[in-house]
Amino acid sequence: MIWETSCRAEAFEGCKEKFVNMIRKVKTDVLVIGMGGAAEMAVLNAYDANPDLEILIVTKALRGKGGCSRMVQGGLNVVLHSKDSHEKHLMDTLKGGQYINDQQLAMTMVEQATPTIKEMETKYGCFFDRNPDGTVHQKPFAGQSFDRTVHKGDLTGIEIISRLTEQVMKRDISVLEEHRAVDLLIDTTGEQVVGALILDIKNGEFIEVNAKATLLATGGGPTHYRFFAPGPEKSVDGLGMLYRAAVVMRDMEMVQFHPTGLIIPGSVVAGSLLEEGLRGAGAHMLNIHGERFMERYDPEKMERTTRDIMCRSSYLEIQAGRACREGGVHIDASHLGAEFVEKNFPGMVSRCRQFKYDLARQPVPVSPSAHYIMGGAAIDVNCRTSMERLFVAGEDAGGVHGANRLGGNGICDSCVFGRQAGKAIAHYLAKNDGQVPESASGMAEQLINRYMKPFEIADGTDPFELRDRLRETNWNKVGVARTGSDLSEAIDEIDSIAGMAENARIAGLNTYNMPWNVWIDLLNMIDVSKMVAGSAMLREETRGAHFRLDCPDQRDDYGIFNIFQKRGANGTIRYEKKSVAFSFRSLDQCQKYKK
Amino acid sequence: MSKALNSRRLVKIYRYDPSVGGNGHFDQFDLNIEDETKTTILDLLIRIQKTQDPTLAFRYACRVNMCGSCGMVINGCEALACKTNVSDLPEKCDITIRPLNHFPVIKDLVVDMKPFFQKLEASIPYFDPVDESMEPAVIRPDSKERNLIGLATECIQCGCCVSSCTMVNYHENYAGPAALNRAFTLLADSRDGLYDLRMNQVLESCYHCRTEFNCTEVCPKEISPTRAIKYIQLLALKEPRRLKRQNLLKPIHEEKTSGKESLPSADSGCNWLIEQHNRRKFLKQIIFGIGTASALVVGGVIAAAAIGPSLKRIPKRLVRLDKLEAFPVGKVSTIVMNDIVPNGFYKSEIKKPVIVVRRSDPDKIVVFNTSCTHLGCTVHWDESKKQYMCACHGGAFDEEGNVTAGPPPRPLDRYAFKVEDGYLFAEVV
Repeated sequence: MIWETSCRAEAFEGCKEKFVNMIRKVKTDVLVIGMGGAAEMAVLNAYDANPDLEILIVTKALRGKGGCSRMVQGGLNVVLHSKDSHEKHLMDTLKGGQYINDQQLAMTMVEQATPTIKEMETKYGCFFDRNPDGTVHQKPFAGQSFDRTVHKGDLTGIEIISRLTEQVMKRDISVLEEHRAVDLLIDTTGEQVVGALILDIKNGEFIEVNAKATLLATGGGPTHYRFFAPGPEKSVDGLGMLYRAAVVMRDMEMVQFHPTGLIIPGSVVAGSLLEEGLRGAGAHMLNIHGERFMERYDPEKMERTTRDIMCRSSYLEIQAGRACREGGVHIDASHLGAEFVEKNFPGMVSRCRQFKYDLARQPVPVSPSAHYIMGGAAIDVNCRTSMERLFVAGEDAGGVHGANRLGGNGICDSCVFGRQAGKAIAHYLAKNDGQVPESASGMAEQLINRYMKPFEIADGTDPFELRDRLRETNWNKVGVARTGSDLSEAIDEIDSIAGMAENARIAGLNTYNMPWNVWIDLLNMIDVSKMVAGSAMLREETRGAHFRLDCPDQRDDYGIFNIFQKRGANGTIRYEKKSVAFSFRSLDQCQKYKK
Repeated sequence: MSKALNSRRLVKIYRYDPSVGGNGHFDQFDLNIEDETKTTILDLLIRIQKTQDPTLAFRYACRVNMCGSCGMVINGCEALACKTNVSDLPEKCDITIRPLNHFPVIKDLVVDMKPFFQKLEASIPYFDPVDESMEPAVIRPDSKERNLIGLATECIQCGCCVSSCTMVNYHENYAGPAALNRAFTLLADSRDGLYDLRMNQVLESCYHCRTEFNCTEVCPKEISPTRAIKYIQLLALKEPRRLKRQNLLKPIHEEKTSGKESLPSADSGCNWLIEQHNRRKFLKQIIFGIGTASALVVGGVIAAAAIGPSLKRIPKRLVRLDKLEAFPVGKVSTIVMNDIVPNGFYKSEIKKPVIVVRRSDPDKIVVFNTSCTHLGCTVHWDESKKQYMCACHGGAFDEEGNVTAGPPPRPLDRYAFKVEDGYLFAEVV
């Protein structure tokens, strides 16, 4: 059975000759884009519900190596203990999201997390850390009323993704590695997603995949900022594709920053995280003058304040000209004692040591680092979207986390909603079987022409340079602290970068051409930047991760709403503010909830 | 520390262009590095790509030692590009970067990892529950099995161990260190239900390990596949009844191949893994006990099967060309031969033209290797000149393959051949 999987993948590699115009066509029951936690959980659940389904996974990286699930350090929040409850997990999640979560989704996440994690242990072979008595250990994490984070040391993601990837191998599921989806394909009615156009990174050829159901689960990853935590191969591809396919999106202004991304001048490793536990343990945050600047912003809680306030304070300190030499602020844990730091944070100490920073004895330069996008496609509890046949799960979807995500809820969201999507897709196909739908005629060819264009431009712009410019614009104007006028300037700048990107030039052949892929990344980043900036303009208040310097208060009295958006036919975005439906817990209950 | 600031380094990078083929070559890049302690090898590659050569290809994803995409050979040692800083290499030493050994190269530093995943799949790397329980098993963290497994499950499948292993190239059916390490973690896991099947699948492979500790030395996650392999052997000794003996004693089919592994060697001669050698020594002492025990006991039983075949000469392969009547008498015909060449860790399909000459004398057939004996360019039959011509440096050979002009040092090579059931076969080594 296992061998058949790879044979099948090879089968259409061999089909090349059959399709003349360099475009290969493949039909399948289910197309899954991405191979992180959400995608793998979906595939396993869809396959187990109906092993006759033909499932094709396409992943931009090698199998199981891309995506942010693998990079999860902390762990997964789940209710397992008799003294904990789904109610508490739900309220923690709503409190963290500052009440604008989709309560149906949040409820599904907390309730389904329990069976999900048990399946991962008993069915897929994950082994999480244990208490001395042999039961599953749960550690504390910020913003939680109960210690409920299941983990494997401080490298939980490797355990989850390695085990899930092996389970995919166990089943008859085709995987195309280093194949990236560039755009969703739509049928003639314009209302159904019928697959995606795929680029084989290795040989530069395009494949038109038509499927009865498509799951988009590429993971977000806001790498369109100067400092970012996700791997650089993440480039908001899924969100960009959703935008271009005119799928209804929500909460796109909500981009979470992590307060302590390591600064390594000139290195791609910059932005990778130092865990929050350091501040929890009492580490100080210092500016260039060696002052504990939190005295200015939150004298009561100081460095133990929440993620968003810590980020804001560091950012304002940097903008006020009190940045350290490397352009950020310092985190100083030396007063805790070198032995203590080395014993309790071995992973962080060694990450710093690789770059000759001595975390245990000296201040280390850090900066807020773009971490997670709470916004995404508007979905229901079965991951259905505004388009027929399209399912979205994980970071590409929005609504679960509202205005801010709790640590440990990210991988929880991916695994739970991946599982939901897998079951839902099997169910959907049982009811809606029939022919594999066709894409609108000429759509794939048109897209290919667009993506091949930079090879024909003789004297064009450099995608690396444009990407840097976009990152700076977003960092300065759509980042940690925003104002109406900055956002409006940013929208113009993003438009101008978009114009220049149309004129980019790529040298060399299309085989494993990395600058070409950077350009395609850039197109996605541009579209997502537009959505974020536009949505941020419309939220004239501060809420969760969205901080408006010009509207610094949270206006619960003013009406609690979500911003939905959808790309219109002429490329302009249509926005709609909708009041939050408090379907399970009222605003009053949320506001009064104390951990 | 100041020595590490504003240094110049010469970086030699292996280049292979799939549209050109051949053995590839090394390109040199001169780089000024502001601070070697803050610059990883991955940063160097990104910088070269951005500023000097956008066509340079390499692979990476997470950039923080978690995904295992950027394994490569850096100054002769396997390592992750994101985990290796320039300051880890000896001062002023040139930096040589080449793709992992034992894998087909796609472009420059990017290798095809398919053989890795195939071997992994074949050793049943996936969990299969021993019972239907829906509650996580109660297993104490200080239990024997968890102590044994430890962090060995944290393999990120970067392929460094396979590249460093000298044995994977000699034993076609050797699963390699990573696959066996995973098998070990499952064999030791009381929750898993595929013990017998897995043991039967992988045990044979374990005897290909010569306990060189190369994998242990290079593993970026500090896992010791050597220990895992020896442990599987030890398990087999403890519970021999659980194994199907006919499987265990089945003759092991092996082929020693020279392979196409010989990249142009330009490794700068400075070994930077000196510190790690101490680790290797330490581990060797620890594992010596297990290693010796299993080697002595099992060695006696298995030696003939395991070591014997590896000393055999390379077997010849018969490659079918075409029906004999497809080669007209009195004519020189060129045909493309499809040959599957075992490369140790993987098999590659090679299409190579050969020249078949059928003389009027019905018994007289000659099969020429079309590689010019000078530098290996393909020769062509020139009907008007009645000579084999090489376009590269003007080498020429007569109808018998003898050199008539140019630099070739010896006559054209001939394949031995066989005619069977009306088909012509060439004997390829």
